[in-house]
Parts: sequence; C-alpha cells; structure tokens
Amino acid sequence: MSFEEVDQSAYVVLTPEGKFNLVAAPPFKARVDDLVAAGKVRLVVDLHAVDFIDSSGLGVLIGGLKSARQHDGDLRIAASGSQVQAVLKLTNLDRILTPYATIEEACHDW
Amino acid sequence: MKMPPSPARQEAEALAHNIPAERYDRIVRLAQAIFGAPIAALNLIGNDSQFTVASVGFPKGEIPVEDSVCRVTVLQDEILEVHDLREDERFSNIPAVAGPPRVRFYAGFPVHGQSGKNVGALCILDLVPRTLGRQQREMLADLGALLERELAVQEEMDLAGQVQQLMLPTSAPDIDGVEIAGRVQPAREAGGDYFDWFVVTEPGDAGKRLVVVLGDVMGKGLAASLIASEVRAVLRGHSRYTDVSDSVARTSTTTKHDLDANSRFSTLWVARLDPTTGVLEYIDAGHGLAIIASQRGYRRLYQEYVPLGAPIEDVWEKASDVLAPDELLVVVSDGVFDVLDDSFDEVEAKMPAILDPALSCRQIVDLIVDFAVFHAASDDVTAVAVRRIPRADGDVTSAGPASTT
Repeated sequence: MSFEEVDQSAYVVLTPEGKFNLVAAPPFKARVDDLVAAGKVRLVVDLHAVDFIDSSGLGVLIGGLKSARQHDGDLRIAASGSQVQAVLKLTNLDRILTPYATIEEACHDW
Repeated sequence: MKMPPSPARQEAEALAHNIPAERYDRIVRLAQAIFGAPIAALNLIGNDSQFTVASVGFPKGEIPVEDSVCRVTVLQDEILEVHDLREDERFSNIPAVAGPPRVRFYAGFPVHGQSGKNVGALCILDLVPRTLGRQQREMLADLGALLERELAVQEEMDLAGQVQQLMLPTSAPDIDGVEIAGRVQPAREAGGDYFDWFVVTEPGDAGKRLVVVLGDVMGKGLAASLIASEVRAVLRGHSRYTDVSDSVARTSTTTKHDLDANSRFSTLWVARLDPTTGVLEYIDAGHGLAIIASQRGYRRLYQEYVPLGAPIEDVWEKASDVLAPDELLVVVSDGVFDVLDDSFDEVEAKMPAILDPALSCRQIVDLIVDFAVFHAASDDVTAVAVRRIPRADGDVTSAGPASTT
C-alpha cells in the first residue's frame, strides 16, 4: 500500500489507499512514528481511499493516536468509508477515534 | 524401497506436509537461473517417498524414494555431483533418467533440518552432462544454507502453532447440562485469535459456572499469538477468584503494560453461564460478535466497552441475559464477520444454516469456520457454539423473559 503525505504545517495529512491491513500497517506505523519523533504530532488520516481495514490497520491508528497524544498532539481520521466505520463501531473504537466527515472538520481547532 | 530409519525421515515427512505452496520457489528459481539448468528443486526425503516441495521444470509432488537421486545426497554431508546419470548404475534406471525428461546431470546439496540431520536436498538437473566449478559448488552450498535457514524458521513456526493449538480446550467441560464446541483456523501457523472454556465456582459458593471466552489480539502470526497466550492465562487466573466483571478488569490491568509496550489491543468476549437456569453474565470488550439465536430470531450480546489495551480506562460492569433451552449462543471472530461484509444483515441471512436442531455444536462451528475459510478469509477465523442440553437427571429449567418452559 502506498500513501500520500501533505504537510500543511499546522498538521500533516496522510492518505493511505486500498487495503489497510497487516501488509500495509508496518510502513504506515513507521512513518507515523517518524513524524511524531520529528515533532509533527497533529496528524489527520484521510481514509477516503481505504476500502478495507482489519485489526492490524486499526491497531496502527490507535497506536499512532496514543503516541501523538503522549506528545500533546492527536491523530484524527476523516472521510472513512462504510467498512471502516462498521469496524470502528463494532469494536467501539469510535469512542476514541472519532470519524470526521472531512479533513477540514477533523482539524477545525488546529 | 524404504530409507534407513532415522528421525530425519520423520522430520522431512512432517515438513513436507506443512510447507505452504510456493514458499521456497524463489530460492529454487534463483538456483535454476544461476546455474542455467532446466530443472531445480527442493526435495525432502521421507520414509519411502521423495516430496518435491519447490521446483522449476519438474512437477511438485510425491514419487517413490527409489526413483530419487536425492535419497543418496541426504546420506552424505557434502554435495553429490553426478556428471552423467546414465553412466551411473545407481541412477541409470530411474524414470527421469531412462525416460522423459531424460536428465543427465545432477548436483545436490544436502539440507539440514532442526534435528541437525539431512531432511532433503537442493538440486539442479540438466539434460546434458556437465561439471560444476569450485565457485559453482560454493554457490550451491550458499543457496542450500539459505534454504536451511528458511526451513528452520518454518519448523519453529509450526511448533509455535502446535503449542497454541494444544492450549485450546479439547474435552467437554466438567459441568452438567451444556454442550460446547470451538475451533480456530489461524491465517498463518499461529495467530491472535483464541477461544477458551473452563468451569469455575461463582464467588459466594453460588454454584458452578461455565466460563466461555473468545479473544482476538490485533494482528496475525507469532507475535499476536504470544500476546493471546498471555491474555488467556491472565484471564484464566483471575477468573478463579472473582466474578466476570472483575476478572476482565483485573486482566486489563495486569496485561496493560505488555499491550501498551507492543502497541497491541485485544478484543475479549467473556461469559459465565449457569447451565441450570440459563443465566448468562458477560463482558464485551470491543468484540461485538456474540449472538443468541433461535428460530424466533437473534439478539446481539454486546456492550460499549473498548478492547483491552485501548487508551481509556473503562469501569467494567457485566450485562446479563438468559439462554433458553432451545437457543444457541454463537461467538465468532472478525475473520468470520469480514467474509460477511461486516454486516449483520448478512449474518441474519446465513443464520438458518446453523439453526438446524439436528446439528451438534461441533458441526455448527465447522460450518461457520469452513464457510469463512472457503470464502478466502485473510484473517484468523474462530467460532464457538454453546447450548443447553437436558441434564443427566433430565431437568431443564429456565429463568427470565426468554423462557419457553
């Protein structure tokens, strides 16, 4: 899986594509870790191009959220499709990882 | 013909049956390309068969060991090189030499298994006689060593998978009035899914309860299985001394460090069933995939809690339901839910297939797991089915609104 990255200076938008699973998760996690280490702790993950997420993908998002919050930042998700929302709802992880409709809404206060 | 008895033959047989298709094809293709030979193969030598588990230019599969050249290679510790098989009376009559493809040249490097004995050989074959140079022999040995490493990893993974399988409950729980079955099909040798059941005495000496557990540690493979083993053991330990809410709370606290350190989380669905009354107390930690079903319909047994390892502290409070004598409790992992498009409408559509009263719980979990595997589940797949059955003394009672007695 490839993902685009756009640095908006106040925050960074990451846009993964396709299946966000065990194969895709490690490189994504590595990139999030690097960004947080570099002080980029406000992250938006634009999920509009992700058609499937499994528990490994969710794990990376939660892991990223934890490390961003430890550095007084946050990781937020935007534009998730129906499968992603179903999985978030099933695991109740939408309590932590609020799905925002758009990138603009996700970073309204940044 | 039988090979001389050796533990290496058993090891080769076990490996041959566990090797995933195409796993070693790359190394074999590399060998074929480097040596410019038409045929390259990894052959494992069992008791009376040769198993070709990876090959180019030669079919994979099993042949009688007497038709093999590698059977000689495994009995020595250096490369076996035969300039012209047709001129060597040990091999001149084997089918691949006497008939098509009429191979002439053979070079094979014996490959060690975990036991340190040779389980097979990496070989190259040509249709014309030839001789390997010193560098080529070294190259073949290097490729063979690479394969040995891969095989060792494979054997370790197989063993880890066996350990995990052996941790699953196999016998009926020692409690009257209940039938239960479960099955896990990991996507790899080992995985993050597990189920468990055991009997505890409810605090206050309130009688025996059957504890039913289904857990799913994020991710797949050996790393996830290590965490799954920990969650399983910790929950088992706490379950003996306290009720279902507290046992999950304590398990969450005890495993918190290890889940955090590894950036993992684990969904957990844990219930305690009193088979006499059907009362079922449960905690759902972000699992969401437990239902009670009957011909009258189905209901989900879920709560709003997040999985263990998620960054909020929940106060776990159990919910309660009643399993009527004609109802079936089914808990599955998300590997099953994924092949149903993560949709409860699809779950409902598939429900009649498992609600035939003639089916045993064993058959029901097999139907569910086989269905998911058939539909190319990419994740671990797990299912547990539970129902009440008449007690040995013939008494089935029920309590609560779902009662039919």
